[in-house]
Amino acid sequence: MIVPRGAADQVVNERLTGEQSPSMESPNPNQQPFPSSTTASRSQSVHKEQSPTLPRLNLKSDSQPHASPEILAPTPRRHLLESSESQHWLRTPPLSPSSSRGVSPVSLFSSASLERRVRTTSYYSTRPSSSSLRTLFDSDKSKELAGNGNGRKHEASDKQDIEMSMGRMWVRWMHKRNMKGWVIPALVAVSTLLKWCIGLGSYSGEATPPMFGDYEAQRHWMELTVHLHTSQWYTYDLEYWGLDYPPLTAYVSWICGKIGYWINPAWVALNASRGIETPESKVFMRATVLAWDLLIYVPALLMFVKTWQGSRSNRTQNLSLLTLLFQPALLLIDFGHFQYNSVMLGLTILALNFFAQGQDVLGAICFVLSLGFKQMSLYYAPAIGSYLISKCIYLGPKAGWRLFVRLAIVTTASFVLLFLPFLPPFAPFEAILQPIQRIFPFARGLFEDKVANFWCASNVVFKWKRWASTAVLVKLSTVFTLLAFLPGVFILIRTAGKTSVGISGPAGNTSSSVSSTHSPTLPLLPYALLTSAMSFFLFSFQVHEKTILLPLLPITLLLCGAPAGSTMFGWGVLVNNVAVFSMWPLLKRDGLGLQYIITMLFWNRLIGYDPRRLPSRSFVQLLSFAVYGAAGLLHLAEFILPAPARYPDIFPVLNVLISTPVFILAWLWSIKNGIEVGWALGGLGQARKTTSTAPATAAASLAEATVKRGVTRAASLGFSNGRRRAPTASSASSSGRPRTATNMGT
Amino acid sequence: MAERKASTAGLKTPSSPTIERDLKAVTAVPDHTSWWNLTTSEWHILFVSTCLKMLLYPAYRSTDFEVHRNWLAITHSLPISEWYYDATSEWTLDYPPFFAYFEKVLSIPAYFIDPRIVDLKNLNYDAWSVVAYQRTTVIITELVLGAVLVRFIRNSVDTPSQRIISASLFLHPGFLIVDHIHFQYNGFMFGILLWSILMAREGRKLASGIIFAVLLNFKHIYMYLAPAYFVFLLRSFCISPSGQVQIKNFLSLANAVIAVFLLSLGPFVLLGQVPQLLSRLFPFTRGLNHAYWAPNFWALVTAADRVLLRYVTRTGANVAVNVAGVSSTSRGLVGDTIFAVVPTVLPIHTFAITIGFQTIILVKLWMNPTYKSFLTALTLCGYASFLFGWHVHEKAVLLVLVPLSLLAAERQAYFRTYILASVAGIFSLFPLIFTPAESVVKVIYSVIWLAFIYKSLSHQVYEFPKSLSYVFIDTFEKLYLLGFPLLLAFVSLFPLVVQQRSTSSACTPSQNPAECQEPNSSVHASRLEQMEFLPLMLTSVYCALGLVWGFCRLTFIYMKNESTYQGQMNRI
Repeated sequence: MIVPRGAADQVVNERLTGEQSPSMESPNPNQQPFPSSTTASRSQSVHKEQSPTLPRLNLKSDSQPHASPEILAPTPRRHLLESSESQHWLRTPPLSPSSSRGVSPVSLFSSASLERRVRTTSYYSTRPSSSSLRTLFDSDKSKELAGNGNGRKHEASDKQDIEMSMGRMWVRWMHKRNMKGWVIPALVAVSTLLKWCIGLGSYSGEATPPMFGDYEAQRHWMELTVHLHTSQWYTYDLEYWGLDYPPLTAYVSWICGKIGYWINPAWVALNASRGIETPESKVFMRATVLAWDLLIYVPALLMFVKTWQGSRSNRTQNLSLLTLLFQPALLLIDFGHFQYNSVMLGLTILALNFFAQGQDVLGAICFVLSLGFKQMSLYYAPAIGSYLISKCIYLGPKAGWRLFVRLAIVTTASFVLLFLPFLPPFAPFEAILQPIQRIFPFARGLFEDKVANFWCASNVVFKWKRWASTAVLVKLSTVFTLLAFLPGVFILIRTAGKTSVGISGPAGNTSSSVSSTHSPTLPLLPYALLTSAMSFFLFSFQVHEKTILLPLLPITLLLCGAPAGSTMFGWGVLVNNVAVFSMWPLLKRDGLGLQYIITMLFWNRLIGYDPRRLPSRSFVQLLSFAVYGAAGLLHLAEFILPAPARYPDIFPVLNVLISTPVFILAWLWSIKNGIEVGWALGGLGQARKTTSTAPATAAASLAEATVKRGVTRAASLGFSNGRRRAPTASSASSSGRPRTATNMGT
Repeated sequence: MAERKASTAGLKTPSSPTIERDLKAVTAVPDHTSWWNLTTSEWHILFVSTCLKMLLYPAYRSTDFEVHRNWLAITHSLPISEWYYDATSEWTLDYPPFFAYFEKVLSIPAYFIDPRIVDLKNLNYDAWSVVAYQRTTVIITELVLGAVLVRFIRNSVDTPSQRIISASLFLHPGFLIVDHIHFQYNGFMFGILLWSILMAREGRKLASGIIFAVLLNFKHIYMYLAPAYFVFLLRSFCISPSGQVQIKNFLSLANAVIAVFLLSLGPFVLLGQVPQLLSRLFPFTRGLNHAYWAPNFWALVTAADRVLLRYVTRTGANVAVNVAGVSSTSRGLVGDTIFAVVPTVLPIHTFAITIGFQTIILVKLWMNPTYKSFLTALTLCGYASFLFGWHVHEKAVLLVLVPLSLLAAERQAYFRTYILASVAGIFSLFPLIFTPAESVVKVIYSVIWLAFIYKSLSHQVYEFPKSLSYVFIDTFEKLYLLGFPLLLAFVSLFPLVVQQRSTSSACTPSQNPAECQEPNSSVHASRLEQMEFLPLMLTSVYCALGLVWGFCRLTFIYMKNESTYQGQMNRI
């Protein structure tokens, strides 16, 4: 019996969820599923049921073994349905929700992996049918919403509740209106406008002589670098905002300063310009941040979306970009508070992009540049370092060592280049110590102000500073940090060991084709970055509240690909929002309260975040409710009540106490996810020691190898990547395909 | 809402049943489903625009901000008899009474938020409370505009296009620049105007007339549009198509309008202050051009005068030169404009020219009093007043752009006129915002807005040019539009270059650069000061070219083509 898939699945769907949509009174598959008199709403609901839940349900419902047609269409290789476990980290539904493409059938081959996905993403199956009732009633409204266009019935009914997201509606509208090519320019333009509008407000240390704030620090460095010789950069008048970032910041300041000097020398006049706050100079300073952002961060994001999500639909890519571009925390700190974090973060994203493309050397250079801009990106170093090592392990002894040596040389060389003006031929040997001492100020305290990390939060009950000396605390925090990021590193290395090409196959013929692509441990990288950055934030020495931007980057990268309403999405947005909330005391001091409220509301609404739509009564949902409730109450209390005289810091401390648990949980969550993904990539058992001796095991290992190679290809995180490799893919695919055939035979 | 109160009260006098039906439609609070039933996309637009406008709270604000604060103080702390006499601040109350009542209403919450806002002596008060409060009132009162625009969508002929037009009006850069940065209440005023136009579209002409009368009592600049209203209502409401005078309609309209005016001016009539009020409203002591030339016909004439003066002084041609004009025009833009070569223009001349153009248009409207014809005639009336009026402000260009927007999706000819006028008109508003930070906002925002409007409407209305002359015109118009980026580049880079030159010539870079700020040679300074106005002049002349051409275009379309074209709106 051949039944159109949509109808049959609707039936299945209704059975599973125990709900019956009014359009199908009797769940009889023999009934003509598309009566000629179908109303618009009914056909909509049928279309609707051709939703991503389809393949999983087919697998689950044994009562309908032949519900799907027998003929299996070949699956396009880049299709996500050829679901490989490595994509588990993306937590995508098999089909991106905003796509209107039909669903290709599943091959049984990958059923095992699908089973797993059913488990992890089962909440999807409950959602559509509950919303289908609503779509039926709202069909008139949704018709109106969809505007005119050909496939609007598909679109209008397509997940009404998710479509509420502003960004999604807008992207869809743009595509419908034949303005597909304008989405990215418009996004960049609108985000630029928003950034500039945030910059209309005040900044750190505005009109607060004698020291002013971060704005003055950055401006002062321009003045410093333009007028002084490099040997004085790290020594000149350290009391007044001495330079304490690595050389790349100094070089960037020098470029900005030169331009500023060309426009108006008074802006960067040595000593005379201290505290200058003319409207023109402010505009110039804001413009430099925006320019660097547009030069580095925005292109890095564009490239990220193209490489890491190349296998996904255009609209999903646009949505990811939208999520990333309007991330409130970075907007507030860079364009409100005034800093150049986007340069550092942009360089790190560039490094990730190059890793994903398999160009590890370029990636390493970018990461060194990122380190050279701000030492804070050291927070990422454990993850990035262990990823590169895992790549070396993956490549096997011979190619691995080659890569390792290459990376070592390139990294050292770029560091040397960065510090060149401070090195012997150009400066005395002691000169290098000055920047180093300035960059790592261990002389300061365990924490400054109120920062939502472990030390500050536990300080409420346990006065660390009273109990131990600074030296002890430095050591203690180092040990804690080390222990905290170790799991991420460990998983990366271990997974690499298990998936290593060098173990399973002859290294000689594969490594040449494999080394040009990324390692299978790549999906672990965002989690490892999150673990490591979060552990530094929580446990390391001398952390600022702004540093939360570093853990935010990986979690936002993870979030941007997740469908609205998934657990990943819930965590990502929760951590983002709490991060902004944790910076509230700082932003309040800067006079950015209005911007704080607006950017946060705007972003949440843009991406369609609503904690009520998370998987119901899941941990993340309950946590979100609790945290938002507490945060809202705290804001309300702060607005209404004055701080009691006995505890003048009560509000910042409460803020820390609300934020820290969330960050700690996010850190644990990242470790848990890392373990899961590592498991999916390499299995839990011991590393395989199989050698191709017995024919049976050989076949098994071959099959596994195929899966693995298929993984690398399908998960090649990029259509672009696939295309790039297309001419050379013959070697890989020719070795892959016959094996698959033999495997199917046995 | 003040205007609703006003209209209800004003309408009580007439009592014929038909009118009452009409009135009920206007004055009855519309049922909630129709006002609140916004689609998701409409909520989104409202949300985004509100976010953006709120981010502009700390932005630059002109003296109009203090003007309105002062009016809050006047209406709150003085009795009504002194409103139009008070001169504590130089910013005296010079809007009609309804606006004064409106300020009175606004001043009540202001007092509770911060009593210092309404303190008459507290001049130039700019605490966060007053900024936030006044900016918020602009955003809130602009919701009138939003509500009316939503109503425009609901019963329109071509809903998707109307949706875009409504969105474009609600997000108009003109409103952003003039209301949310510069500070005025134009969104609210144009909301009332569009409400009146909406009533005309729905055939409720009495209501339309009354609302327009109310609007006139909010801000008298809308008198520019009054002739079109007068002719339209007279022809289509007071005279039947066959030519019979409908005396009942006429009387009800007349009574209602008089009632509105009585309500507004009544207290001042009783106090005997009408002459004082009128002298405040119509200060005829000002010059032909505003400080910055509005991009109208007189800007072109003034520019031509300057060119002629150059020509005369260089060639020594035998032309009588007005000596006063030489210095006046060389200074350029301040105060009274006295021409050196061109004959002097008096208010009566501008008045005559304006009326002349309007008469031509109104005759056409008389012949063809349909809604669409009315809309075009209304636009053209405002347009003529803007181009030829005495002492026109650049902000008045909104009077042209807003009704013209409603015609945008009609067909290619209208659309092109709309694009030309919008680009030129919005660009001519740019000099209002001269601070560097806000300049970036106005440019990026306008570009985004224009790109969206152009992309989403142009393909719907596109028509191929019919003849060779059309092709030429089309090309020239495109070239003209392409000139704007160049003009923008010039205008924004010019001050930089001038400053560069002044600093480099005044001191060498090796000296302490802080001292270089002071230009030390007075000759140099005066030359620079002369040059200072060059970008402004260029802007206004270039925009004036486009706007005058747009007027010719629209008049031509209206007079010539419309009789043959049976387009979308003719179906109404």
